[in-house]
Amino acid sequence: MKNRKMTLGICAMLTLALLASACGGEEEAEADGPSLIYVTPNPIGVNKFLELGQVGTQRVADELGGAWKTFESTNDSDRRANIEAAIDEAPDVVVLTTFTLVELADELSKANPDQKFILIDACPDEPAANLHCGVFREHEGAYLLGIMAGHLSQAKEIGSVVALDIPFLHRWSDSFALGAQSIDPSITDTQVFIGGDNPFSDPARAKEQALAVAARGADHIFAVGAGSNGGIFEAAVQEGFLSYGVDVNQCPEAPGHIVDNNLKLVDVLVEQLAKQVIDGTAGPVVAFGLAEGGTGVVALSSDEELADSQCVIADHPDIVAAVREARDGIVAGDIVVPDPLFG
Amino acid sequence: MFEQIFDTALFDSATRAMIPILLAALGGMICERAGVFQIALEGIMLAGAFAAVAGSYLALSSGVGVIFGMAAGMLIALALAYGTVTRRGDSIVLGIALNLLAMGLTGFLLPQLFDVRGVFQHPRIDGLDRIAIPGLSQIPWVGPVLFDNTIPTYLALLLVPALWVFLFRSPIGLRLRGVGERPLAAETLGVSPTVYKYGAVLASGALAGMAGAQLSLGNVVQFAENMSSGRGWVAVVAVMLGRAHPVGVVGACALFALAEALGFRFQGNGLPVQITDALPFVVTLIALVVARKRFARLLDLTTAG
Repeated sequence: MKNRKMTLGICAMLTLALLASACGGEEEAEADGPSLIYVTPNPIGVNKFLELGQVGTQRVADELGGAWKTFESTNDSDRRANIEAAIDEAPDVVVLTTFTLVELADELSKANPDQKFILIDACPDEPAANLHCGVFREHEGAYLLGIMAGHLSQAKEIGSVVALDIPFLHRWSDSFALGAQSIDPSITDTQVFIGGDNPFSDPARAKEQALAVAARGADHIFAVGAGSNGGIFEAAVQEGFLSYGVDVNQCPEAPGHIVDNNLKLVDVLVEQLAKQVIDGTAGPVVAFGLAEGGTGVVALSSDEELADSQCVIADHPDIVAAVREARDGIVAGDIVVPDPLFG
Repeated sequence: MFEQIFDTALFDSATRAMIPILLAALGGMICERAGVFQIALEGIMLAGAFAAVAGSYLALSSGVGVIFGMAAGMLIALALAYGTVTRRGDSIVLGIALNLLAMGLTGFLLPQLFDVRGVFQHPRIDGLDRIAIPGLSQIPWVGPVLFDNTIPTYLALLLVPALWVFLFRSPIGLRLRGVGERPLAAETLGVSPTVYKYGAVLASGALAGMAGAQLSLGNVVQFAENMSSGRGWVAVVAVMLGRAHPVGVVGACALFALAEALGFRFQGNGLPVQITDALPFVVTLIALVVARKRFARLLDLTTAG
């Protein structure tokens, strides 16, 4: 009996410790302009994707003379509590990011029709009128990466290591191949899928698959595995092939082995969508691509940023020029990149 | 096409896939023999992978990392041993609880200790070096695959015959099996089941912890949340399919790993991922059913002898 009490006591203490570390927030001074509250699905930490969401939120508040706050969530249970706390404060816009929050966003936007929400990088099937989704056209950036591979590949064989065989992720792999083949139609493409129990966070499995693709002769391999990408970059260093990253600039993870990245500029999306919501001009779903500056590659950034990026593409100014030209072509509609999600 | 698939890189890949599973399965096998159903291998492997990366990062040494990994594994195993042996709890319930604990705890400690989330990769993390054995590593085909490898790999391969001798040819092994099969008889003869069961569970913790270290410092040099990704469960199945016999267990692990590595290659040739994902399980099951008759006879011989 005594033992059981002790065990219970320890459990209670551990639970309290976890709870205490779960809450947290950053606050800014009150102001006259619009107010925004950014709720993250996970702690921001060094997660650049979530950090960009905060940068965008802050920029809107600063430009319009408003106020902003961030509620960082740490686990499943405090996500809901944080969003509800944000709703209680009734700001002009509640900013939510990533697929992790899609169900909560759907449920809580329908339960609070007077509160305006924006959700970045995901959207429920039938969003309520007060929920505005901002999604990316990832295939456009992937196509630009393909153009780089088309110019750089010596073996004329490229490949992608992709987390799952689902239409959404073919936006990366298929468009990468299309971009390369637009430069040289003879380039062959191999796509493999990580699969298994934990496709988005199994670097060991991803590394073996990248090695298998490299053994077939591919010298440019696109890493579309989120948390598994580190294994693919290790394989790149080991076997000497070149790789491509996703979402943020991953070049510093393996300098000299990553050509460029398919960027999602969350800050641009948050900023533009939040302003539209505040103006009352936002539609239910807004898709951001190269034209809106919502997606991109490092090669499109300023020359100084490019020089500091540690990306291989910085050493190839001629290809950077070709990529910028192709971007203009896509923006103007001269080049149409098909969307595998709806094709 | 044949040469393109069956090259040394394939067997290299299969060996890397096999070692973590084999180390954990050998630990599970010892427990099975001592009469403890060890189902916490997945969590122990994950905790081992995390502690190994943490130890290697702090001490700048992969050796310290492996020791950290084994210590973390033994710590979780100690909880299992206390719960199942001393407190006579249900090993399945406790095992599942410990798996969940390891997943939560590593996910919680990662941002607390290293200020990152999801993946921890850092130049300070010292990976396990491949150490070539002079002479043996020169043998074509076999040499570069088996004799140019990490220390946990050599240990895993040496443990297969060593554990066979231990279980079937040593007095301690006999008593351990006695504790598992006839605990009352063993106790009557003055053999303490508690001591043997504690020893078996702690050994499995050390081995599965080392499996995690091989995964996070050998196969790759980084930690990713929940990176054991079901390998511990495969080890549990390998113990059952191999009937807790070293030859059966290593056979199940090797077949599984080879089928997995082959699957990666076949994917490149257009085989759908849904099939290559299932391939290791299907191949291992079929092979063991086919080999069962022969294997059962071998088992009777060794256990009788």
